[in-house]
Formats: sequence, C-alpha cells, structure tokens
Amino acid sequence: MSSPAAPTDAPVLTAERLSVRFGRRVALRDISLAIPRGRIVSIIGPSGCGKTTLLRCFNRMNELASGARTSGTVHFAGMDLYGPDIDPVEVRRRIGMVFQQTTPFPKSVFDNIAFGPRASGFTGDLQGLVEEVLTSVGLWSEVADDLDTPALELSAGQKQRLCIARTLALKPDVLLLDEPTSALDPEATARIESIIRALSPRYTIVIATYNRWQAARLSDLTAFLDRGELLEYGLTETLFTNPREARTESYLTGRTQ
Amino acid sequence: MMARRVSGAGTASRAAGERLVAHVLLACTVVAVVTLAAVLAVLVREAGMFFADVSPWRFLTEITWAPAAAEPRFGVLPLLVGTAQIGVGAAVFALPAGLMTAVYLHQYAGSRTARLLSGVTALMAGVPTVVYGLFALHFVTPALRVLWPGVEAFNALSACLVVGLMILPTVTVLSREALDSVPPPLLDAGLALGAPKGRVVTRVLLPAASGGILAAVLIAMARAVGETMIVSLAAGNEARLTWSPFEGLQTLSAFLTQLGMGDAATGTREFQAFFAVGAVLFVGTYGIHMAGRMLVSRSVGRAGQ
Repeated sequence: MSSPAAPTDAPVLTAERLSVRFGRRVALRDISLAIPRGRIVSIIGPSGCGKTTLLRCFNRMNELASGARTSGTVHFAGMDLYGPDIDPVEVRRRIGMVFQQTTPFPKSVFDNIAFGPRASGFTGDLQGLVEEVLTSVGLWSEVADDLDTPALELSAGQKQRLCIARTLALKPDVLLLDEPTSALDPEATARIESIIRALSPRYTIVIATYNRWQAARLSDLTAFLDRGELLEYGLTETLFTNPREARTESYLTGRTQ
Repeated sequence: MMARRVSGAGTASRAAGERLVAHVLLACTVVAVVTLAAVLAVLVREAGMFFADVSPWRFLTEITWAPAAAEPRFGVLPLLVGTAQIGVGAAVFALPAGLMTAVYLHQYAGSRTARLLSGVTALMAGVPTVVYGLFALHFVTPALRVLWPGVEAFNALSACLVVGLMILPTVTVLSREALDSVPPPLLDAGLALGAPKGRVVTRVLLPAASGGILAAVLIAMARAVGETMIVSLAAGNEARLTWSPFEGLQTLSAFLTQLGMGDAATGTREFQAFFAVGAVLFVGTYGIHMAGRMLVSRSVGRAGQ
C-alpha cells in the first residue's frame, strides 16, 4: 500500500503493519500510522471501514471481542502495547475511551466520576478531582449542588459530557472518542466539539467519526479508512482540499458511500 | 383474533371450515377462563363460609393449628411461619449459587461450557419434585444428622436445601436474562476506565441488573412457597410454631395435600379450613409472583434507556 505522509511532531501512538481479523473476516489490513502528541486526529470513512476497530486497538479493548486476532505492533510512548509484560488494565488507565452510546453507570454523578480513580487505588482528594474534571466539561455548574443525582437522570448531552469527565479523572495521556456525538442533537454536539477543542493541547485526541464535517471542523490530521485499509493520512486541510486518492475525494464529496 | 384475521376470498365450504376452527380455538380459551373463574369461585365460597365461623383475626393471630382435633384450633401462624421458613431458606441457598452460576455463564464460560451448563440446568428443572423429596429424605437428612445429631428425622433444613436445589434453575435462568439485558457498552466503559474485570462485574454489571435479579429471586420464592412434595417428605407434615431449622414443620401448601387423605367431611369447618388456607396461599404466591414480574418489566425498561 502507499505509505501515508508521516506527521512531523513526535508521535505518542504508532501503529505498524497493524491487522485485525475476526474469524475469517479481515477488519483492518496493514495499517501504519503515527498519532502526534497533543493533536486531534480524526479517523473517517464509510460505516464498517474499521474506524472503531482501529480505535479499540489503541487501548487493547479489541482483544475482548471474541475471535479477534491482532498482528503488527502498536507503540505507545515508546513501549510495545502488545508486549508480553504489558498489563491491558494499566494501558486503559493511560489511554481513555468514550463510546458512541452514552454509558453512565447506574450510580450517582459523583460515583461515576470516582469509578476509575477508585479502581486504580486513588488516595488523593477525590472531591477536588471530581470538581476539576466536571468543570473541564462544563458540567460542574449544572450538577455541583447535587452530585448524588443518579447519572441516568441527566440529559443525553450531559451524560456524554459526564462520560468524558469520567475518563479525564484518570489523567490519561490519550483520549479515544468513538463517534462521541452520533447519538446527540446538534446543540449537544456543538457543546461536545467545543470541549474537545478545549482539551486538545493537554490531551492527544483520536476521534472516530462518520461525520466528515466534524473531522474538518475539529482535527489537525485526518485518516481516511476504507474497507479496512488506510487510504490516506495527512493534514486535515490538505486531505479535504486536495485529496491524493480518487476514493478519498469521492467519499468527501459524497459521491459514494 | 381481530389482529390475526386474514381476509381472503374462498368458497363457502372453506369459509365454514374457517369458522369452525375459530370456534374450536375460542372454546379452548373459554375452558381456561371458566376453569380459573370456577377455582376462584369455590375458593371464595368455601373460605367465606369458614370466615363467617372463625374470625379472620383469630385465624391470623392464634398460635395453634389443629383443625382435626376434638377441639379444633384454627391459628394459621404455624403454617405461615413454616411457609416463610421454606421460602426464605430455599432462597438463601439458591440465590448465591444461582447468581454465581449466571455470572459465570454470562462473563467467564466459553460458549461450549455455557451450552453444556445450560443443558444441565434445563435437566435439573425437569426432575420431578417427588424425586427431589426422596433425595431429601434418604440422602440429605441422613447426611445432616451425621453433622448435627440433633437434627430430627423430619426437619426444615433438609427441605430448604432441596427446595433451594429445585428453584436453582429458575434463579439461574432469570438472573442470566437480567445480566443479558445490561447493555454491553456499559461493561466496555468499565473496562476502558482501567477497572479489572472482577470489579466491573461487581460494581457495574450486578448493580445494573439488580432489579431483574431481585425479580428472579421473588419468582423463584413463589415456586418454593407453592412446593408441596419435597416439603411433605422432608419436613414431615406437622404444624408446629418453631423457627428451628432442625425441627419439622408444615407449610400452607403441604397442609393442603392432606385434604386428599379424605378425613374431612364436605361442609364441615375442617373442610372449609382447607379453602381458607388455599386462599391465603393463592393471594401470597400471586402477590410475590406479580411483584417479581413488575420488577422484571421495570428493569428491562430501564436497561433499554
């Protein structure tokens, strides 16, 4: 395959010749790409192209699916994520993930945020941590008076912001966002997008999205996946205005799906 | 029937045939409804005559149940306590075992093991209760008496253990349904927050399924309370007001089997007492069962959010 242009900044995540099969079906074929630190990277492509699978390779969630087999390597900050002495639980504390479907636990707002820190034996100021991460997603002013509210009673947009805050509570290096706004209305979507922008210098963010305009609005770099292959990867502006591949262009202009 | 009606042109004889089928089906439905109504009518009539004679207050507060004695006593408390003992005791054994089996099948077992174990569970549900009763009497009780020599030949503990075994498939199958209704992304989210699997199971999966699990236990308890054969064989059939698990007891439903012995003459107060007890049992099990069903539908609704 053609080797996509590597970004210039120091990479925090690097996939090399990464392939994933589910049984006999090939979900990802020979993916090589580098995610530079502190940037927002979008992964776009038609549904079923492997966006979610690629994202789940970055925090070793993929191996939880039955029949998944992964080959190739993923390096995170210089270490081999799939190495024999790597604990996937530890990986997931440093590389957080937010899902398409909002996933608040049937607990209070406070206990939702505290879940990750408690699981990793956090002994510091939990109250302060909860306030800090709720503030960074703009939820603190809305729920500060009632942190005991069941999280299931929040609105859909609030739930998703809670899920982002919950992930931030672990102080991860990387945020993986799997179509985080596809279940939300336009207003809540805009809210989430501005949060993503605000988080961007501190966290490296990889976002899978079926919405190409969201990728254009948000990301520094964009990768275009089609049928499990990485067709093109580069600066978002370049990819959108002057795509190298004909298939990228036809996808971006909506001529094929 | 309205929703099922298929309109189609046909000959007159075919139309007549269709009408016949519809009438036969209706007749079958009517049989079920009429039977239920008749059962309720008999219960209400006989129990009503009983309570005209014995005040409900005395029925519920007196502590001796001896309907066939020369001076009959109609205090239903010993039967209620015995019934509660069997229901709660069986659940105490069946809940941990059934729930852990369900969690194992749902989260840990490979698909082949899960299929095998599900088959075994189904098989357990098919064992006739009289076989369970004999097992209690001839195996469990002797084993208990080795452990605790003070255990009586007929005792509540043996009955609780084996009734627990009988309701185990119900608890397992319904708990597993409750676990299945938890959206998988919720568990992914727990794992993605760096929680080990065991913690995700105890802190996310079980709380999210708790409504359905409670319902499973209630429905299984309703079965335990209605069970007669195991209780009669293992716990004897003597009404005694005691909480000791080492002594025998009688439950509402086990008492009812004595009507079949034919000692009570129709129309006597003793005879009517059976129907009063039957009414109590009916209301009790129906109540527990409906509470369980309500919890099931509520928890399914919540999980679908």
